Amino acid sequence: MPDVKNWDQQISSFLLSPSQFLASTTCESFLAEVLHELRNDKANDQLKILLVSTLLEHPMVLCPSASDGEETALELLSIFSHLPQKSITLKCNVMLAITNVLICTSCLATHSKMAEDWLDLLFETIEDTNDYRCSLSQQPLRATACDCILELEICSPGLLSQKLEALNLLKHQETSILHQSYCTLYTLVLKNAIRTLTNQKEVTDLDFKSIFSGNEGFAWKTNPNFLPLNMMVQVPRLPPGLDCKELKSITSSLLDESYLLTPISQSTLLRDLVEIVAMVPGLSPTLFKSQLLRLFGTADIVLMHATLFMKDIFTDSLFTAEDENFLLKRLVGSAQHPLLRIPEKLFYMDCILHFPENRPISSSGEESLPVLITPSLAASLLPTVFNDSATMLCRLNLLSLVHLEADEGEAEKGISYLFDHIMALLKIIDGDSSREVVVTTFRALFIFLKHFNGMEEFSDKLTDKLCEIYSRHCQLAPHLIGLVDRIQDCLEEPLWSVKLLRGLQKCIQEIPPIQLTIHNLTWHLKVLKRVAKEGQIDQRNTIYLLLNVLINSNLCEIGNWQIGNAVLAVCRNVLEHPSIDRMFIALADLLQYISGNYDDMDIKDHAHFYYTLLTNLSREKLAGILAKDLDGERAKERSHSSVMAETDEVAGNLTVRKTKKQVLQLIKVEEKSPHSSSDQAESLGTTEETKNLLAVYQRQFQVPGFGSEVTLKYRLTHTDDTDPLFDRVYTICLQFEVKDTNYTKVSDIHVPCVFRDREPPEVIVKLKPHKPYPTTLHVSALFTTQDGLSWHSLLPDVSVTFPEIFLPLPLLPNLSSACKEMVFDKIWESGASGNPDKSAISLFCFKTGDEGLADLIKTHFQGYMIANEQRERVWKVLLFLPPKCHVLFRITRGEDAVQVSIATDNWELLPLVNTYLQKITDP
Amino acid sequence: MSLRALWVLSQEKGEPGKVRFSRRFPTVEFRAKSLVGSQYVAVPEDRDIPQLLLTELGLLDSDKPYVDARDNCARQHRSPAVELRLNGQGEKTLWPVITVIQGTLILACLPLVEAPSEPRPSLASLASVSQGLAFLTGLQDFLCGPGSKPEPDVLASRLAALPSVLLQVCPLGRPLDTPPPAGLVPAAVSPSPGGAQKQPAWKPVVHRGRATVSVALTEKVKSMQYGKSSRQDLWDVYGKVMCKCEVEGILPSVTVTLTLPPNGSPLQDVLVHPCMTSLDASILTACSVDGNDGSAFSGPYKFPFSPPLEPFRLCSYTSQVPVPPILGSYQLREEEKHLKVNVVLKLHESVKNSFEYCEAHIPFFNHNLMGSVEVKVSSGQLEVSKEKNLLVWVLGQKFPKSREATLDGTVNFSGTVAGPTDPLCTGLTAYVKLYFRVPDLTLSGCCVDQHSVQVYSSAKPRILTTRELVSSEYYIWNSTGDAPVSSGLTAL
Repeated sequence: MPDVKNWDQQISSFLLSPSQFLASTTCESFLAEVLHELRNDKANDQLKILLVSTLLEHPMVLCPSASDGEETALELLSIFSHLPQKSITLKCNVMLAITNVLICTSCLATHSKMAEDWLDLLFETIEDTNDYRCSLSQQPLRATACDCILELEICSPGLLSQKLEALNLLKHQETSILHQSYCTLYTLVLKNAIRTLTNQKEVTDLDFKSIFSGNEGFAWKTNPNFLPLNMMVQVPRLPPGLDCKELKSITSSLLDESYLLTPISQSTLLRDLVEIVAMVPGLSPTLFKSQLLRLFGTADIVLMHATLFMKDIFTDSLFTAEDENFLLKRLVGSAQHPLLRIPEKLFYMDCILHFPENRPISSSGEESLPVLITPSLAASLLPTVFNDSATMLCRLNLLSLVHLEADEGEAEKGISYLFDHIMALLKIIDGDSSREVVVTTFRALFIFLKHFNGMEEFSDKLTDKLCEIYSRHCQLAPHLIGLVDRIQDCLEEPLWSVKLLRGLQKCIQEIPPIQLTIHNLTWHLKVLKRVAKEGQIDQRNTIYLLLNVLINSNLCEIGNWQIGNAVLAVCRNVLEHPSIDRMFIALADLLQYISGNYDDMDIKDHAHFYYTLLTNLSREKLAGILAKDLDGERAKERSHSSVMAETDEVAGNLTVRKTKKQVLQLIKVEEKSPHSSSDQAESLGTTEETKNLLAVYQRQFQVPGFGSEVTLKYRLTHTDDTDPLFDRVYTICLQFEVKDTNYTKVSDIHVPCVFRDREPPEVIVKLKPHKPYPTTLHVSALFTTQDGLSWHSLLPDVSVTFPEIFLPLPLLPNLSSACKEMVFDKIWESGASGNPDKSAISLFCFKTGDEGLADLIKTHFQGYMIANEQRERVWKVLLFLPPKCHVLFRITRGEDAVQVSIATDNWELLPLVNTYLQKITDP
Repeated sequence: MSLRALWVLSQEKGEPGKVRFSRRFPTVEFRAKSLVGSQYVAVPEDRDIPQLLLTELGLLDSDKPYVDARDNCARQHRSPAVELRLNGQGEKTLWPVITVIQGTLILACLPLVEAPSEPRPSLASLASVSQGLAFLTGLQDFLCGPGSKPEPDVLASRLAALPSVLLQVCPLGRPLDTPPPAGLVPAAVSPSPGGAQKQPAWKPVVHRGRATVSVALTEKVKSMQYGKSSRQDLWDVYGKVMCKCEVEGILPSVTVTLTLPPNGSPLQDVLVHPCMTSLDASILTACSVDGNDGSAFSGPYKFPFSPPLEPFRLCSYTSQVPVPPILGSYQLREEEKHLKVNVVLKLHESVKNSFEYCEAHIPFFNHNLMGSVEVKVSSGQLEVSKEKNLLVWVLGQKFPKSREATLDGTVNFSGTVAGPTDPLCTGLTAYVKLYFRVPDLTLSGCCVDQHSVQVYSSAKPRILTTRELVSSEYYIWNSTGDAPVSSGLTAL
């Protein structure tokens, strides 16, 4: 095993992207290395904590199955038990890791032996309260054990439900800061026990009492995750009439001591207690009365939030109308309190919009205002230009809702304030401002229009103002188009959008020609293209304008492709316009002018094509062709076309469609004998050269490209999908994408055709590794179907395994075996002596019978055999891995096991070699 | 009530973001998966996080004028949570990602949604959201400390300490506490003795030595003055009481009392620290959003509490006072090639004429750089910063006896280089901004009497009380120009 490793860098690259990291190793070997290093007495705690973090963060990546999980947890447990007492932090981390692994690999859910033992150990730890003896240093261990048990209980609710008496005692005895951990754990277990009981059909006093006095084993039955009560349609309840004296005294004492907890833990405790009281009819919510004042006044966001939860669950059984009003006022006050932080204030505004009223009018869960919020109460939340953008938008949305609901007089004043605010924002962007301000302003416009688009006095003024600003700042075009589209998406009546577009069209028309530069023309054409989509807007002016610009400027001579394309994009949308008849001649003139004068061949051709479509097809046909793309797939199809993005939809042939399912696949051709390297070796043979065989061998690698390729054979066949459309596909272009950086780009492969009823064609994929690791290829295909349509389709990923990269020794095949053996021995010698410096040797042993060994060698190593000395029971195998790595095996039959001595000139391959050997020798 | 993942990112201007710290909580992830089944969306790997998050926050590709994914007007950024759209995974999104931004640092966490995924529950209904928010603000204090921007090496060492902090406050994704504020370790402490008295989780150690209680009352005043009869001037006062209590004992009892002068208007919107042991209902009744209620309680305000060891904000309040401390007028006129400037500041008679500092800043935006400046002041000195287009009028420690000071003159912008710009201040829309601090004064009249601080402990404690008034966003707008509306309250 290599000893010098830069763990810091390895772990951080693993954490940054486990998938990329594991592309060059396997998770088994990485995990094995991590565990090995954890056992290393010389490694310091800090390094070990770093190593454990891999299992803390990605247990599922390293232990994909339950058995891996159990095995790893066992390993960790043995590491844990051998750690010295002083390694507290490391021990805590290992504890967390074991808990993580057991929960995530479902060992907990399936009640595995390891999970059981672990829970016993954790419980023993929290019961061992004698750590005062050995000072306070062992306290963190108990705290972590509590956290782990808590997590196990959360993931398997009810697990500790028969331990409440013991937990109560522990909670009672503990006076150190660990009191919080015991208290939180006890409350959660109590809540889950009661929740479990509510599932029971009949609950007697005895059943109920027994939960407090339980001190038995763990309840290994699986409850599903419990949702919080505010997420339940119906709150689960115990039957009335149970004797609640004991529970009442428990809950009161928990509540009384709650101030000893940190605010976050206090809020958790409060929520658990609220759920308990809500589930037990014999307990009254008035229990919380004594805490309310403290909670109403709190500056702490989690406690305020817990209060709202309480309000949601208990409504008027705990909160009077007066309380409700007061709480709401506190929320509005907090939503703008100068001493709170912005995210907190935004959260409070969200709480106002979802305020749990005692008597809610609707219960849709959508944003809705509580009836108590009046314009005068919310006046302090009116947006201003001095707000940061999130606050401003949040306030604007809230106040828009307030004024939608308000009485006429108040609403009028309020809405005109909001309108003035929008105008103030527009004035700011008129003065050339940053992108952030522009984006915020358009978001504000969207909110305002969404609520008040029906009020024409405002929406008309906005239209005028936006057009006026556009005439000065045409770079706002994409924002305006975005606004128009989004407003159309969310309103049924697109009146406002049409008005704005009409205004913009007029505005562009009125711009003096001298101001039309190539730069701002690009923006104007974008707007006109969008305008042309509106059936209600007359397009003649657009066409005249375009013709006018082309005739009276040097645009045609410049022949800028982008501008030409943008002009054609407008024309294309006009072609589709419902009143195309009225502008037929004008459009024909324009297209003819472009096809005759525009100095770009592509643009000319396209203009001519449109002209032909326009003049030769009936309106219905034209509409039919153009409407072809109007199905849902349009956006995706368009993005795959490589030519003329704006106009390609016209001709179906230019469009590349995406298949919904996988149509084709590559199936590996299993070869009996190993593939041979395609490169020609230099001829060898004369005796003096054989003396220096190794040097000659190595000289071959100076020839560029020598021995650098792995050739893999596949058959290209149909998948099981039986869509007859794809029975015959033609001119297939296979494209490969390598998932990692270990291989060079794989070039495209062209296949003439694949028919479902014929022999599938063979495809040869040539891989050039930088490093010979297993990899995965993403494959996609472009092809044509019989109807002439082009398609893009993904194929199932192709994985290239480690043995697939093996090549035989790249020497002439007719070279004598003695020569080959000589090369083998030379490489072995230099490897064993540590030259080059990445060399390493290793040993692998396994048990098998004589026949088994022979079979194994025949199946796996036949083509790589260098020497086969049956009598001496020694086999020499050489695997060559491009571009320049060697793995050598010397297999010997020992007394009771087979030994594989391994030598390689690249130790990084050892984990892969190990895994490979394990796999092929696994009985 | 758990977090699925936590990230600390940094983004220097124009550079791609970088993950500085991250932590995933796989057991919470396990629950997320079992809660929503096939609707489950996995958390992307860390290398993909910066791109996804920065797109949502509008911080990516600042050189491109419009990117739909970033600038779409229907994507509303009006809550503390954003939604990450995962590329190449259909319509899959990850929500709610809570973010807190400070300077170049972006803190983010993904709380567990304990609810069916459809329909999407509200933020307000999810317990983990407020916990995540509190956790992030605690983390912000831990990483950045009281200053606005920590030095790179300080930040690096705090980031390096995060794993051990998380081991204590959030070992398995369920926050138990917020990270401790940075650099605030109390002086003489020792572990708790461990007796019958239960120890609060927020106070792992106890103080040893002489008892000291310091109470610092800071009031801030904000103002917008327009000098127009059509527009009402505004001034807001808000205060906070910071405490540092070094008192022996596990749960010592301390009471601080705030008093107002006989005719003082009540303290409003009072928010208190969780260590408060009990609270009188009348303290909370006054609320700024409610209009003024003359009959309201006006003190004394008694705050009994058992203090933590680190300094903390005992309470905060807002107050409505009848007059602003400094009344200003600003007149700016355009004359041929220069601007004519006139500023008058009057100190109200109720305000002590003894400042630690007092300055008026007069910036000129959207002009070329200044040329000649011919300005006279009746009191104090004038500093001219030509490269910033800024006049700084230093009034010093005192106003003259008349309590009035004037600045008058002309400024010429003959430079050829453009000066600083501001989207708001165009044309004659311009302001004077005041900066001042007055020790031993509050506008509300609120004060903490040294003798009213009660500490129930054996030794006689040392008690320090201070108070001060500080300006904050104190603007005087040019009365000849259009000033932007700064509050909806007066408009309605």
